Amino acid sequence: MSRSRCNVLICTGGGCVASGALELSAAMRAAVQKRGLDGEVQIFETGCLGPCAAGPVAVIHPDGILYQNLKPADAERIAEEHLLRGRVVKDLAYERRPDGMEALGLREIPFFRRQEKIVLRNCGLIDPLKIEEYIARDGYGALAKVLTEMSPAQVTEEVKQSGLRGRGGAGFSTGMKWWLWREAHGTEKYTLCNADEGDPGAFMDRSVLEGDPHSLIEAMTIAGYAIGSSQGYVYVRAEYPLAVERLTRAIGHARERGLLGKNIMGSTHSFDLEIRMGSGAFVCGEETALMTSIEGNRGEPRPRPPFPAFKGLWNKPSLLNNVETYAAIPSIILKGASWYASMGTAKSKGTKVFALAGAVKNTGLVEIPIGMQLGELVFDIGGGMREGKTFKAAQIGGPSGGCIPRHHLNVPVDYESLVELGAIMGSGGLIVMDEDTCMVDISRFFLEFVQDESCGKCTPCRVGTRRMLEILDRICEGRGQEGDIERLVDLGHTIKDTALCGLGQTAPNPVLSAIRHFREEFVEHIRDHKCRAGVCPELVRAPCQNACPAGVDVPGFVSLIGEKRFDEALTLHRERNPLAAVCSRVCFHPCESKCRRSTLDDPLSIRSLKRYMVEQEKELNLPPMPADGENAKRKVAVVGAGPAGLSCAYFLARLGYRPTIFEAASEPGGMLVQAIPAYRLPRDILRREIGMIEKLGVQIRTNQSLGRDFTLSSMKEMGFEAVFIAVGAPKGASMGMTGEDAPGVTEAIDFLRQYNLTGKVPVGKNVVVVGGGNAAIDAARTALRLGAGSVTVAYRRTRAEMPAYREEVEEAEREGVKFQFLATPVELQQEKGKLAAVKMRRMGLGDFDRSGRRRPVADPQGDFMMPADQLIAAVGQTLQPNEIFNGVSLKLNDHEFIAVNPVNGQASEEWVFAGGDAVSGPSSVIEAIAAGEKAAVGMHAFLAGKGDIPWRAPRIVDTFFDPDADPVMGTRPGLKLIPVSRRKGFAEVETTWSAGVALAEAKRCLRCDYRE
Amino acid sequence: MPSLTIDHKTISVADGTSLLEAARQAGIHVPSLCYLKKVQAIGSCRVCLMEVEGARSLMASCVTPAFEGMKVHTNSARVRAARKTVVELILSDHDGDCQTCDRNGDCELQAVARDLGIREITYAGSMSVRRKDTSTPALVRNTAKCILCRRCVTVCGQTQGVAAIFPQKRGFQSVIGPAFTSDLADVVCVQCGQCAAVCPVGAIGENDETAKAWAAIDDPKKTVVVQTAPAIRAAIGECFGLPPGTLVTGKMVTALRLMGFDKVFDTNFSADLTIMEEGTELLTRLKKALVDKEAVPLPLLTSCSPGWIRYAEHFYPEILPNISTCKSPQQMFGAVAKTYYAEKIGKKAEDVFVVSVMPCTAKKYEAQRPEMTASGVRDVDVVLTTRELGRMIRQGGIDFPNLPDGAMDSILGASSGAADIFANTGGVMEAALRTVYEIVTRRQLPFDNLHVAPIAGLTGVKEAAVKIEGTVREWSFLEGVTLKVAVAHGLGNARLLIERMKGGEHYHFVEVMTCPGGCIGGGGQPRLTTDDVRRARIAAIYKEDEGKPIRKSHDNPEVAAIYQEFLKKPLGEKSHHLLHTRYTARERV
Repeated sequence: MSRSRCNVLICTGGGCVASGALELSAAMRAAVQKRGLDGEVQIFETGCLGPCAAGPVAVIHPDGILYQNLKPADAERIAEEHLLRGRVVKDLAYERRPDGMEALGLREIPFFRRQEKIVLRNCGLIDPLKIEEYIARDGYGALAKVLTEMSPAQVTEEVKQSGLRGRGGAGFSTGMKWWLWREAHGTEKYTLCNADEGDPGAFMDRSVLEGDPHSLIEAMTIAGYAIGSSQGYVYVRAEYPLAVERLTRAIGHARERGLLGKNIMGSTHSFDLEIRMGSGAFVCGEETALMTSIEGNRGEPRPRPPFPAFKGLWNKPSLLNNVETYAAIPSIILKGASWYASMGTAKSKGTKVFALAGAVKNTGLVEIPIGMQLGELVFDIGGGMREGKTFKAAQIGGPSGGCIPRHHLNVPVDYESLVELGAIMGSGGLIVMDEDTCMVDISRFFLEFVQDESCGKCTPCRVGTRRMLEILDRICEGRGQEGDIERLVDLGHTIKDTALCGLGQTAPNPVLSAIRHFREEFVEHIRDHKCRAGVCPELVRAPCQNACPAGVDVPGFVSLIGEKRFDEALTLHRERNPLAAVCSRVCFHPCESKCRRSTLDDPLSIRSLKRYMVEQEKELNLPPMPADGENAKRKVAVVGAGPAGLSCAYFLARLGYRPTIFEAASEPGGMLVQAIPAYRLPRDILRREIGMIEKLGVQIRTNQSLGRDFTLSSMKEMGFEAVFIAVGAPKGASMGMTGEDAPGVTEAIDFLRQYNLTGKVPVGKNVVVVGGGNAAIDAARTALRLGAGSVTVAYRRTRAEMPAYREEVEEAEREGVKFQFLATPVELQQEKGKLAAVKMRRMGLGDFDRSGRRRPVADPQGDFMMPADQLIAAVGQTLQPNEIFNGVSLKLNDHEFIAVNPVNGQASEEWVFAGGDAVSGPSSVIEAIAAGEKAAVGMHAFLAGKGDIPWRAPRIVDTFFDPDADPVMGTRPGLKLIPVSRRKGFAEVETTWSAGVALAEAKRCLRCDYRE
Repeated sequence: MPSLTIDHKTISVADGTSLLEAARQAGIHVPSLCYLKKVQAIGSCRVCLMEVEGARSLMASCVTPAFEGMKVHTNSARVRAARKTVVELILSDHDGDCQTCDRNGDCELQAVARDLGIREITYAGSMSVRRKDTSTPALVRNTAKCILCRRCVTVCGQTQGVAAIFPQKRGFQSVIGPAFTSDLADVVCVQCGQCAAVCPVGAIGENDETAKAWAAIDDPKKTVVVQTAPAIRAAIGECFGLPPGTLVTGKMVTALRLMGFDKVFDTNFSADLTIMEEGTELLTRLKKALVDKEAVPLPLLTSCSPGWIRYAEHFYPEILPNISTCKSPQQMFGAVAKTYYAEKIGKKAEDVFVVSVMPCTAKKYEAQRPEMTASGVRDVDVVLTTRELGRMIRQGGIDFPNLPDGAMDSILGASSGAADIFANTGGVMEAALRTVYEIVTRRQLPFDNLHVAPIAGLTGVKEAAVKIEGTVREWSFLEGVTLKVAVAHGLGNARLLIERMKGGEHYHFVEVMTCPGGCIGGGGQPRLTTDDVRRARIAAIYKEDEGKPIRKSHDNPEVAAIYQEFLKKPLGEKSHHLLHTRYTARERV
C-alpha cells in the first residue's frame, strides 16, 4: 500500500454494502477532502472483514482501530477526531476494554485474536478491484512458482501433503482428487469452481469472490496446470451480483496482464476462465447437477458412476472444487505443505472459515485452525450468548448438517468429530441457538428448506422428505402421534440409504441429529403438547404462560389487574397456582424471560404485578369447590407440606377429595418455611395461603415423619388409596472434605432450618459460605442479619455461572456479602478445636462440562487462606431414600431421586405418586407447584378414571383489548426495595408498587394470547 | 468381461452391463419402475436398489455398472426394507383407484407393490399436483397417477426428439408436463402416444372412445363398418395373454362380427389403394423431374403416419411440399367407405359409421383434422386403439383365444401382402417398390421373396438402392436410373434423416414412420412394446405377407374394381378429391 500517514479501509463486502458502506465511503472521502487530508489519508474499499452484523465497518491503520455500525454522518467525526487529531472515537469503536474507556486494537479484539486467516488473508485488506494490490500481497507468486519451478506432479504432491480437504462439505482430500483427475484420460479436461454457495447463512465463498477474486483465479490456473486443463468455469449463483461483477472484472484484469490466456508467464500452460451463472437451485451445488446446469439443462444430479473424473462436464474429465478450497491453494504453494499441515488436527489440516450466526454476540465470518473447540468458537470468538441466554445447541453444516448440544461444547471442530456427533463440517454455516430455539421447529425449518430445494428426481428425496416434513408439521401443531419419532428416524435412515445424490442422502440429518440430542423436546411436543422454547404457535398461547411450569394464565391475570378486577385476577391465577402470594415474592419468574415485550423495550415485570395483585386481596377468596361427593370418601394422603404437597392437596380438594398432609416438621411449608428467609417471604403471608388450602378441607398433621412415625406400608394399612410423596431433598450434600464434621462447619439447609424453625442458630464472626446457589445466598444473608462480622460466599466458578437468582446475588452484595469467585475450599484449619481458617484453592475455567458451563480447574499454585470461624456448605441437596421408604422399594432415577411418569407423577408403585424436589432434585417453587397439580390430576385418574379437570379447560378472559392499537410505550419500573440501612432484622426487603405504577405496567402487556 | 457375485451366484457379464441387467441375466427378478431397457437408465425411482459390499449406501442397480469382483446382494433385509419403503412412498403420492383404472391388472406399479408384499402405506400424507389433461383428441394425461419415472420424458425428448413434456417445478411439486404446465394441445405434441406406450401406470393413456363405438353399434339407423390396420392382427392377441407376434387375423374378424359391426373391412384394402396413388405420384414426380426438367420436390416422403405429418408441419414446414399428398390408408378408407361403399348399399354418407382400429393414438387426431371430410361428413367417425379394441372384446364377453377364424367382408376387405407390411418400418417403401418396379419394368422386384432386406429391421435410418433396368417404353426415361430410397422410424431418426438430406444426401423416395419399429410399435398397441416385442410382431407381419396369394397392391382385385367402377385412375379427379390432402406449416410453440 501507499506511504500515506493513515489508511482508512472501508469494508464493502455484500453485508456492509447492504447496510450503506458505499455511502459511508463517499462521506468519508468528502470529509477527508474537506480537511485537506487527501495527501496523507488514503481511503480503500475492501472486501469483507468478517464482523458483518456490525456493518458497515471500517479500520483505520496504522492504529488498527475498528469502527462499527457507521453511518455516513459519522464520517465527519472520524475525520475530525481520529484522522485530524489522532483521537479514537470511542463510542464508535467495535470493542472497548472492560472498563469501557479505551478502544481495543484490531489484534486485541477477541473476535480477531484467535483467528488464523489464510483463505480470507486478503479480504478486508485489499481493494478487490486492483490487481496491483493483490500482487503486492504476493498474489500470483504461487502461480509463478508453479510455472517456473514445479512439475504438475509436484504441485499435486504439494497439495496432497498439505492435507487440504474439500471445503464444500464432503472433505475429500483435495490433493488426492487432483491426483486422480491428473491421471484421468482425455486431452480435454475442465477445471470447475463451485461458487453456488447455498447453505442458509454461509457466505464465505461470496466473501472471497467479492473481497479477493484473484486468489480464486490464481488457484484455478494452478489447478489447471496440475491436472492438464486449459479451460475453467466458475459456477456462481445469480444471487451474488457483486461477486459476479468483481470476479468478471478480475478475470479481465488477469487477462490483460497475461495471467489468463495463452502461454501464461511465457510458459506452455494456457488457461482461461469463464463465469456461468447458476439459477438459484441449492441442488446445483451437487457436482453432477452443477455440471448438468452448466451444460444448459435442468439442474439435476445424475448417478455416479461415471464419476466426473472420467465423465464430467460435457462428458469430459472435470475437476470441481469450491471457492474456499481453491483460495487456500496459493498460500500452500508459497509457504509449503508442511506450514499448512502444521495447523489443524491429525486428519483435518489447516483452517476453516465459519459463518457464525444466531444467538451469539459476534456474528460474521471467522477463519480458525481446524480442531478448535466448539465452545471456544462460540464463547471466545463469538463472544458468548446474547442477552444472557443459555447456549442450547450449535447447528453446523446447514441443511445437510446437524446440531451439537451443550454437553458437547468441547468437541474439536474437525471433520471426523463432527460426523461422530451427527453433524458435518459442511460449508461452514454455524448457527448458535439459545433456549428460545425449538429443536423440533428448527429441524422442520431445515427439512422444509431441502424439501423446497429437492430437484424431485428421486423418490426418497421427493416424497420421503415431504413425508418427514408432514410429520414434523403435525408435531409442531400439536397433532403428533405416538410413534412419530420412530417414523421420522426410520424414514430418515431409509432416505439417507436410498437417495440419488448428496442432497437427499443428507437431507434427514438435521432431523435425525435433533432427535438424537433433543428427543425429549419431540416427546414433549407429542405427549404434552408443549413447546418449551415457546416457538410453535399452535402449542403456545402466550410465551409467558408457556414458560410458566404451572401454566398460569399470565396475560389473563395481568389484563384483569389492568382493569382493577383484582379478585378475578387472583382467582384466575389460583386456577393453576394456589400459592400466588408466595410466588409473588419468591418465584424466579421464567415468564418474564420469555416476555415478548422485551423485543420492544423491556419484559413485563410480571412478578411485581402479581405482588401488587395479592396485596389487593381483602378477604381470602376460595376457589369454586364441588359439593361433597364420592371423592370425599376416598382416603388420599400427601406426605410433605412443601409447595408440591400443598399444591397437590389444593388441587385434590378442588376435585372433591379431602386429603391429609403429613409433615415432618413442626410447621407446614417445607422449604418455604424452613429455608427461605422471612425477609424474602414473611411468615404471615405464607400461613395465610396455607390457611386457604386448609379451608378447602385439607388436613395438615405436623411432626409426622415418613420412615420415623409412619411408613408407606402403614399408610396402606390405614386405608389410604393413593399417596403423593413430596418430601423434598432435605439433606444437604457433603463437600467430601476432611474435617467437615469439625465444630463451626455446618450445612446451609440445616443452618437455615434451625434458624427458621427455632429462631436461633449459632453464627460465627467470619463466615464463609461455599456454593453458588440460592441456599448459599439465603444462608449468607441470614448470617449477616444474625450479626456475622463478615460473610464471604466462595464459589468455584464465576458470577456468570452462578445458579442463584441474579436479583438475590445483587441484593446480597448490596447488603455487604462479599464474593470470592473461582475459589474452592480444600482444607479446614482448626485452632484449639475450633475452625480458624479455610485453605482455598484458586480455580480457573477449563473445558465445558455437560451443562455447557466451563469446568472449574484447580490451580494448586494459587492456594490462599481465608480466616473463618464458620463455614456453611451449600453444595447441593439429596433425598435419603433408605431412611424414608423402609419396606417399600420405589424406583429411583439416575440422580437418585424418585422416578415417576412425567405425565402424571406416578411412581413405580401404582398407588404412589411423587413430585417436587424429591423427584427433580433441588428446584424452584413454581416447578414444585406444577408437579403437585400434575400428580393431583394423575391421582384422580387413578382413583376415579379419567374425568374433566375444570381448571385445565381453556378459558377466555373478557378483558378489553384493541389489537389495532399501537403498544403504549413505557419502561419497566424497578423493584421497590427498602434501603439496605433498614435491613437489619428480617423485615421484608421488597415492598409493593403504588397503584399508578402497577396499572401502567399491566397495560404494557402485548396480549400475545389474543386471538381473533 | 467383469465377473461378479450376485446373491452368491458368480456370473460374468459384458463390459458396461448394469447390475440390474446382470442380475436379470443371472435369473434374479429385480423390481424396477423407471428403468426401460435401451431407452432409459437414470436411477430415479430407486426401486431396483441393491446392496453392494463396500458401498456406503444402497445402489440403484440400473445405473451401477458391474465391476470385477463386486459382491452384490439383492435380497438382504436392508434391500427389502428399503425397496418397500420406496414403493410405499411412491404409492403415498399416487391415486390408487386401481379398480377403476385403465391399467388394472396391467400396471407395473401394482405388480411391484404386489411382489414386495406391501400391505399398508406407512407414510401416508398429502398428494402432489393433481391435473388431468384431456386437451388433445388422442391422449389423456393424469398427473395424479404419475410416479415421475420419466420414461415418457425420455421417449418424447430423445427417441422422438419432440420434447413436448419434461419435469416442471421442483421437489414434491415436481410434475411432468408441457412447458409452463400448460396443456398438451398448447404445445407441439405430435400425439404419437409413445409416452402412453411406456407409461408403467395409468398416468398417460389414449382418449378412450369405446363408448362412442358401442353407441354406434347399438344404433339401428347406422351401418357401422370397421376397418382394422395391418398392425392390429399381430398384436391384439397380447391383450388376451397370447405371446407377442401371434397372428390372429381370423379371430379378430370373428370377434368384430360378434361385437356387432355390420361389415368388417380392412385398412389393408386402402393401403393397397395408397400404393396405387403414391406409386403413381412418385413416378409422376420423377417424370417431371427427369423428362420435363421441372423443379418438382424430391424426394417424395411418405404420408401414412399422422404423427410424422404433425411433426413435419411444426418442425420442418419447409419439407411439406415433399410429402406425398396421399391421405393415409385410414383416411382413404373412410373417404371411399362413405362414398363408393355407401352408394353401393344405397345409403347416405352420414348413415355409414366408420370405426377404425389403429395401433396409433395420432390416428384419433388425424381423423379430426378439418381436411378429413371428403365424403361431406367426417370420413372416419371413431378411432380405437388396439388396447381399446381389446377392452371392447372383453366387455363383449368374447372368448378371443378360442374363436374360429373369419374372413373380411367384401368390397373393402381384400388386400395384398404388400398392404400387410405397411405395419412395420420399411414396409410402405417395400410395398411401393413392388408396384413401382413392376409398373416400370413389367417385371417383379428383383429381391429375394420380394423383401428389400436393407430397409428391413430395427436400424434407425436405413437406405437401399434399386437399379432400374429393362424398362417398358412408357417409362424408358427411368432406364438405368438407380432409385435411392431411405427409411426412418421414430421421429428422432426422422430428424437425423432430414438433417442428412439437408446436408446434401439425395434420395428419390423416403419412408417415415413416427413410431420405433413402425405401426407395430405404435402408441396404441398393447403395453409394453420392447425391441423383442417389435421383432416378434414384425416377423408375424412378414409371415402374413408371405402367406397371401396376392403380394402386390396392383394385383388386388377389389382395388382394380374401385378404379374401374369409381375412381377411374390413380391421381384422377375423384382420387384427387377423395384420396389426397394438403398440409399446413405450423408454429413451433
